[in-house]
Amino acid sequence: MTRILTIEDDAVTAREIVAELSSHGLDVDWVDNGREGLDRAVSGNYDLITLDRMLPELDGLAIVTTLRTMGVSTPILMISALSDVDERVRGLRAGGDDYLTKPFATDEMAARVEVLLRRQNNGGAQPTTLRVADLELDLISHEASRAEQVLTLLPTEYKLLEFLMRNSGQILSRMMIFEEVWGYHFDPGTNLIDVHIGRLRKKIDPPGNVPLIRTVRGSGYVIAEPV
Amino acid sequence: MSLPNPSDGWRSSSSRLLALYSSLFVAWSGILMGVMYFEVSGYLDNLAKHSLMQRQHLFSHFRGDQLEDALAASMTFDIRGIDAYGLFAADHTYLGGALQQMPAGLPLDGKIHELRDCSESDDPTLPADSCDAVATPTRDGRWLVLVRDNGSLFAVTRIILRALLWGVSLTIVPGVIGWHLLRRRPLRRIRAIQASAQSIVAGDLTHRLPVSNRRDELDMLAAIVNAMLDRIERLMNEVKGVCDNIAHDLRTPLTRLRAQLYRMQQQAGEGSPEAAQLDLVLAEADTLMARFRGLLRISELEDRQRRSGFVELDPVRLLQELHEFYLPLAEEDELHFKLNMPETLPQLNGDRALLFEALANLLSNSIKFTPPGGTVILRGVNDAGHTRIEVHDSGPGIPESEREAVFQRFYRAEGGQPQSGFGLGLSIVAAIVSLHGFSLEVGHSDLGGAKLVLDCRQRLISQS
Repeated sequence: MTRILTIEDDAVTAREIVAELSSHGLDVDWVDNGREGLDRAVSGNYDLITLDRMLPELDGLAIVTTLRTMGVSTPILMISALSDVDERVRGLRAGGDDYLTKPFATDEMAARVEVLLRRQNNGGAQPTTLRVADLELDLISHEASRAEQVLTLLPTEYKLLEFLMRNSGQILSRMMIFEEVWGYHFDPGTNLIDVHIGRLRKKIDPPGNVPLIRTVRGSGYVIAEPV
Repeated sequence: MSLPNPSDGWRSSSSRLLALYSSLFVAWSGILMGVMYFEVSGYLDNLAKHSLMQRQHLFSHFRGDQLEDALAASMTFDIRGIDAYGLFAADHTYLGGALQQMPAGLPLDGKIHELRDCSESDDPTLPADSCDAVATPTRDGRWLVLVRDNGSLFAVTRIILRALLWGVSLTIVPGVIGWHLLRRRPLRRIRAIQASAQSIVAGDLTHRLPVSNRRDELDMLAAIVNAMLDRIERLMNEVKGVCDNIAHDLRTPLTRLRAQLYRMQQQAGEGSPEAAQLDLVLAEADTLMARFRGLLRISELEDRQRRSGFVELDPVRLLQELHEFYLPLAEEDELHFKLNMPETLPQLNGDRALLFEALANLLSNSIKFTPPGGTVILRGVNDAGHTRIEVHDSGPGIPESEREAVFQRFYRAEGGQPQSGFGLGLSIVAAIVSLHGFSLEVGHSDLGGAKLVLDCRQRLISQS
């Protein structure tokens, strides 16, 4: 079973993180201070750590730095009340794998955890083709096809599809899509991403085919095998 | 915003002071000379009358040939030709002397009179203009007329006038030169003050006006302004501190609220009325969080003094990316969205992500407010070696009266529609623009709607 360590000093937030991640079938341990968190992170065999940036006793940034210098490569999702761009850069540079600012939505947090876990598990093998039902994406020739039918995609559409397919079955928030595909970290307004997804959908889910891209109300999008 | 330039002409205070001093001096010397003239001429006048009286007295003792000899002898002492006489018979016929005619209008009463016109002859040895004259009967029954020229009095006038002229010109000429030299120094200092004030006006409240150790009026003024700035800065920091604390304290409750609502929604049965209601509540919570993040974002941007993240970047690539990003949205809204720029544009110095965000906000507004069938143009212009980025639309435009206000937080157009957004987008833009030292102007587009012009010329970047 996948084991997660949550280092978070606010009990209510921690409880919600634990509840949300548990509902995703993950085994979550919670620690409420930095020193103990670091001990557990080093000794325990965890698959991922969610780490609050500001903690009593030992600062979140110091924990990441220490873990990375010790050679612990467990993926870390940093959760911070400091939203400044510089803070994000500092957190990621210290060795954090993703950065989420408070206030955050727990479903978004869970989605980010899932994506990090997926990336970790795929770390070894580099597939050349991604497949969801009869939709295929060739990562070398950058070609997509649905039911043997070649689809012409614009560069952005290709990037978008690749991100969705790499995380197939996983809900991706609009924010995550924007960050990954366009590389910016601000709120572009919800309908922009919707419009881009809409375009992609028209191409890969033409009428008559079973739709593969699904909208998850309030959360985001997912590409998955039709149930 | 620019500060008024100090006048380097007559309006400067040193010029005015000098002009005042000069005119006071001129007036004073005029009065002084006038009084002197009055006194001296009165005295000389008396002296002239007295000498005439003495001569009249002297000659009254002679008679016959003795008189004529005495008169002739007296003339040999009159080198400057001030005095003259005429000897006339009882019936006024000429007997001797330089005066060949009895002066007209001279009463024959033995008293001294001032005559306007002394004699009609052109003899240069005779006094020409005004003179004092006296007609006195001699002991032998003849008439002796004595005249004395007032010329010496005019000479005094001339001397005094000349002295006045010298005095005045010696005041005015050095005055003008002094003005020229004096006005430079304060002007230089005013310019230094102006330069520092400009960066304060531009938003850098850490700046202070320069104070020299001369402790003059300008320094006093600068010190007063600096004290005011200290106070303003402290107040602003206090307000900011309070806002930051509130913001910080709100993050955790918001996170908890959202998390618990989400859990309730997950637990509510699919399709149940509770689930539908919770969906709405969750959407509201998300809106609340988005606005909250927007506010934090602005205060973060306003806080940022550092520009080390700035790089030279190619605006062409940035504009293409923006166009690609917004084209689907524009097409969805049935708008023509055009990218209009030359093949190359001058590089800009800035933070790529922030500029993208700012321009994205501008485009998003234009697209939102332009009705279907309209046009939005993103334009890159090379303005004499600097890049200018313009967003034009055929929407309703922004009325002149609201052009300043649109960049304030939570501004909404009068009678704003619900679609007018969070009202934070443009304040984020303003914060990013001011961080870069660029300028943003709102105008009227040829397309009929708004025109937003981002002038990417960096000005007044304080390196603190």
